Parts: sequence; structure tokens; C-alpha cells
Amino acid sequence: MGNIIETKILSKSFHDPVEFQALKNINVSIKQGEFASIVGSSGSGKSTLLYVLSTLDTDYTGHIFFDGDDLSLKSKNDLAAIRNEKIGFVFQFHYLLTEFTVLENVCLPALKRAKYSEAEIRERAYQKLELLGLADQALKKANKLSGGQQQRVAIARALINEPKIIFGDEPTGNLDSKNSQNVFEIFKELKEKFNQSIVVVTHDQHFAERTDRIITLSDGEVISQ
Amino acid sequence: MFKKSPVIKIALTHLLAKKRQTIVAMLGVTFGIAIFIFQAGLMSGFQAYFIDETVNTTANIRIYNEAEKNRKSILAKLYADENKWVVVQNQKPKDELTKIKNGYQIIAALEKDPRVLGVSPFLGSQAIFKVGIAQIAGRVSGVDIIKENVLFDVSKNMRQGDITKLQTIPNGIILGDGLAELLGAKMNDNISITSPLGVTLEMKIVGINHSGLTEVDKSRAYINIRNAQKLLKVDGSYITDINIKLKDFNQAEALAKFYHQKFGFKTVDWKEANASVFSVFKIQNMVTYLIIVSILIVSGFGIFNILMMIIYEKMPDIAILKAIGYKDSDIKKIFLAESLIIGMLGGLLGLVIGFVLQKIVGSIKMDIKGFVSMEYLRFNSSIGFYIFAYFFGLLATTIAGYIPARKAAKMDAIDIIRSK
Repeated sequence: MGNIIETKILSKSFHDPVEFQALKNINVSIKQGEFASIVGSSGSGKSTLLYVLSTLDTDYTGHIFFDGDDLSLKSKNDLAAIRNEKIGFVFQFHYLLTEFTVLENVCLPALKRAKYSEAEIRERAYQKLELLGLADQALKKANKLSGGQQQRVAIARALINEPKIIFGDEPTGNLDSKNSQNVFEIFKELKEKFNQSIVVVTHDQHFAERTDRIITLSDGEVISQ
Repeated sequence: MFKKSPVIKIALTHLLAKKRQTIVAMLGVTFGIAIFIFQAGLMSGFQAYFIDETVNTTANIRIYNEAEKNRKSILAKLYADENKWVVVQNQKPKDELTKIKNGYQIIAALEKDPRVLGVSPFLGSQAIFKVGIAQIAGRVSGVDIIKENVLFDVSKNMRQGDITKLQTIPNGIILGDGLAELLGAKMNDNISITSPLGVTLEMKIVGINHSGLTEVDKSRAYINIRNAQKLLKVDGSYITDINIKLKDFNQAEALAKFYHQKFGFKTVDWKEANASVFSVFKIQNMVTYLIIVSILIVSGFGIFNILMMIIYEKMPDIAILKAIGYKDSDIKKIFLAESLIIGMLGGLLGLVIGFVLQKIVGSIKMDIKGFVSMEYLRFNSSIGFYIFAYFFGLLATTIAGYIPARKAAKMDAIDIIRSK
């Protein structure tokens, strides 16, 4: 199995308000089809690592190879295209556009990609919602759903372009244990059924323990992986 | 491609979520454009009317002879050497005739010119009009009324009487309506006119005329050119002016120069004769354009304001759109679309309101008597104003929207997500 992500001596510093090295010489790799979690105490740099790996943060030194490409050589627009086609995001908060319907929210990344016709995109969005048990909610406004449902819509949105990897930033941080369990099962199913790579930052020890692999960060350094 | 893009839909949702502010921002644009349409239509309608009237009452070209006022003294001519100093005090102007020599031959020559529509001889004089004890100083215009009619459409402006009477009745006179009112004179009344040379003629009013230019109507009377020659004690070939109407009045400036060279007399075209009026028009137009610019700047601030509010409120939307692969330029498009929607809808409404305002005000009877007299305000509803106002409105809203749009595009998704 090939690596979807590989970092070489990845470092990152914040300069404001004081000089602070958030990531120190990180060398990690994530395989295709791997379900990994990144853990560490708050301030250990785990979220920072996720943002850097997921191309959102470009202010780093060293190299990140994503699907074979060196990300440090890519322009902002190239990175946007990579995120659109190959990366899915699930954040702690759902970040749905509240005035849009569930279906429209799920369609957003695919409409940007414009690989399929609008009718096909809707069809695909329905399939993803079905997978997550939300097909009957498709035409409701996003803000009419419960927290757990909204997070599942966010996952459906992350899946619409069939990305190579899904990044989760505390995806269960705002959910009760039942819904957290639900989200975990979905991720697991995605990995098993679709060979999807999944990287999740979490401080939920119970969640992390059940993933394939735990990457532990402390003070910006990987102490176990 | 454009239809698939959710940019417009996102923009519309943002605006609908802030209906009241959106409407206020829109009304700013509406107001600016409506006022401009109204104001520009009014100004240019008035100016067109005034130009019409002056073209109708000013000759396209006037040929006249001017007495030399600053004549060099004979001594100065004799001792032209610069090192000599000649002083002649209290030198009076020579009693020169302002007569156009061979006037009627020049008229005959002009009438053969294919560019000329009509030529009319003119002999004017100051005169005192007297009816009973009422006395008013004014001017008499000695004309050949049939030829004058070709130039100035005198018959169209006749309130009473008939211009041909001026030819058939030897002592006929046509008064301006303002003058007749001041004298208390009516049709067929007798009136005496006295020239500066002391000649008095008893005339009979055969017509009342209304040119539309208030000052002219208050002071002018038409008489036959023969009677004017009698008033000035001159012979039957004596005329001071030749007025010309051209087929195309835009050629006036060029032809005025040409006739000056050809006949050797002074010439003045209608634009030059009314130069002061045209400079007033220029200032009026400048003010009109300043008004639309300032109103649109103000409404631009309104648009800027509402967009900034939306952007701060919708920061999470911006963050997620960027995360799922929308480019900075897509984000910029969303907010530019919002300001354009405000500008387009507000602008269209402004055009309609401006149009309706013109129609309403244009249908109210005003009876204006000032510089010119007219019953209704006249508007120029030329499509050019509408196009200009609309595109200028769009330009202003685009500029106002561009700054917030660029700010939104530059926002960092990570900063927004971290701060949650």
C-alpha cells in the first residue's frame, strides 16, 4: 500500500505574539486506507499538524508529499483544487451553510468541481445521504437538523467528491457519546468499504484507541506513532 | 458553467438574510440614479428648448458693419515712428455710417448660395413707444416681414393679427406681447413711435407677437423696413444688418468666416452671439454630474457597510467554502455579485422612478416666465442618460463592493476555524 501523505522534516513556527515553534521536525506518513488518530494534550500542536497536512496552512518549512506531489511547490489555487478533489473535511462544528438545504450543502464541493452535470451531482449527493441514513432529511434546511445529524451531513459533504483522504478536526468534540459512536462507525465503514484514508485529531481517548494507529504529539514533536 | 456555480445563490441568500439593510443600500443607488435622470432630463430639456428658441430668434449668421471706435488720430498716422510721442485729447468718433454698402446686392448673392435657406435685411433703431400718456423705450426692427418669417417663423408666434398686414398696411406695426401689455395697447390701436433723431411716426397695431424670450417680447416691435428708414432719415438702400438662415445651422461658424472674407463686413454666428448662455449651460451640466457622483459615493458607502457586516457574520461560510476547495477568486465573486445585485436592482428602480418623476412633473402646468417662458417643464428623456446613469451606478457599486470582496477573499480559513 502506498502512502497518501508523507512529511519530511516538517516544522512550523508562530511569530506572533512571541516566537514559538509549534511543530518540530515531523516525519510521519499515512497509508492509503489507514484510519489514524492524532492525540496529544492541548497546545501539543495536533490541530496545527492537521491543518498543515490538509493544505489549509501553507506557512511551514520542510516537505509534505501528498499523493506523490510536493505541496510546497503548489500555488494557492492548485491547493484549492487538491482540497476540492482529493480531501474531505469534518470539523468540530459542522460549518453547514444554514440557509441552504441539506442536499445543497452536500452538493457544494461537487458543484465547484463541476465534473458531473447538476442532475448527476444531486443523484450522487442522495447516495451519500442514504449511506449516512439522512436521505429523508435531504430537502430540509440545514439548521433544522439535530447536532448529530448536522455532523453526518458534514461527513456526506466531505464524501461527495470521493476524496482520497478525510481529515477530521475533533469531529466528535461537540457530540454526545451515542452520536460519537455513530460517527466512529461511519468512519470505520468508509475505511473498510471504500479503502478511504482517515486522519482524525481527537482528545477522546476512547475514540483514538479504536483506530488503526495513534500518533501522539507533545510540544510539537511526535513521541509515538 | 455559470449556472452550475452556486456563487449567485450564496450571494442571494446573504442578501435575503439581511433584507432591511439590503433595501436601504439599494435605495441609495435608486435615489442617486432617479435624481440624476430627473435633473439631467430637466437641464438638458430646458437647454434644448432654449437653444431652439434662440436658434429661432437669433440669425444663424448676422452680417453687420461696425463703426471703428478706436480710430487712430491723423497725427498718429503721420508720425508713426515709435520714438515720437503724439497726444490728441478728446477725440470723438467719426460720424460714420454703419450702413452695409450694396446690402441688397449682397442679399441677392446670398440667396443664390445653395447652403442658404433664407436672407433677411434688417434696420433697427431705438424708439420711444407712446400710447396716450404711456411711454416705453424699446427697439423697432425694420424688416421685410415675408423674408423675416422664413428666418424666424414669426407667423407661428403671432398671438393676434397677421404678418402680411405689415406689408399691406403702410403704417402697420407688430408689438411684442409684453410690450403691448406694458403699454395697455390692443389690436388696431394707434401708437406713435419716436426715433432718437426726433422723427415721429403714427402707427397702427396689426399684430401681437410672442417669441418666448421674455426680454425680447417686452421691448421689440416689427415695422416695415421703409418706415425704419424714415425714422432714421436714410435712403431706401440703407440697411445695417443682413440675417441669414442656413440649411444646416451647425455650419454657421465656418460660413460666418467665409462670408466675412467674401464681403468684408463683420459676421457673427449664433453660437458666438449666445456664448455667455452656453457657458452657463456648461456650469449647469457640471453641477448635474457632481450631484450624481456625490449621491452615488454616499450609496457606495452604504453598500460597503452592508457587505462588511455580511462578511463578518458569514466568516464560517467563507472558511468552509475555502476548505472544500473554493478559490479566493470564487469568494471574491460572491461578494462582488452581492454588490452588483444591489446596484442592478437599485439602479433599475432608479431609472423607473426617474422616468415616472419626469412624466409627473412634466404634466404639471407651471407657466414659467423668466429667462424664457413656457407652460410646462420640458424633459429630455434621451436613452443616453438612462444608459449613462445605469452604468455609472454599476461602476460605483462595483468599486464599493470590491474592497470588502477582496477582504473576504484574503481571509484565512485557519484563523476563522481556530477562533471558533
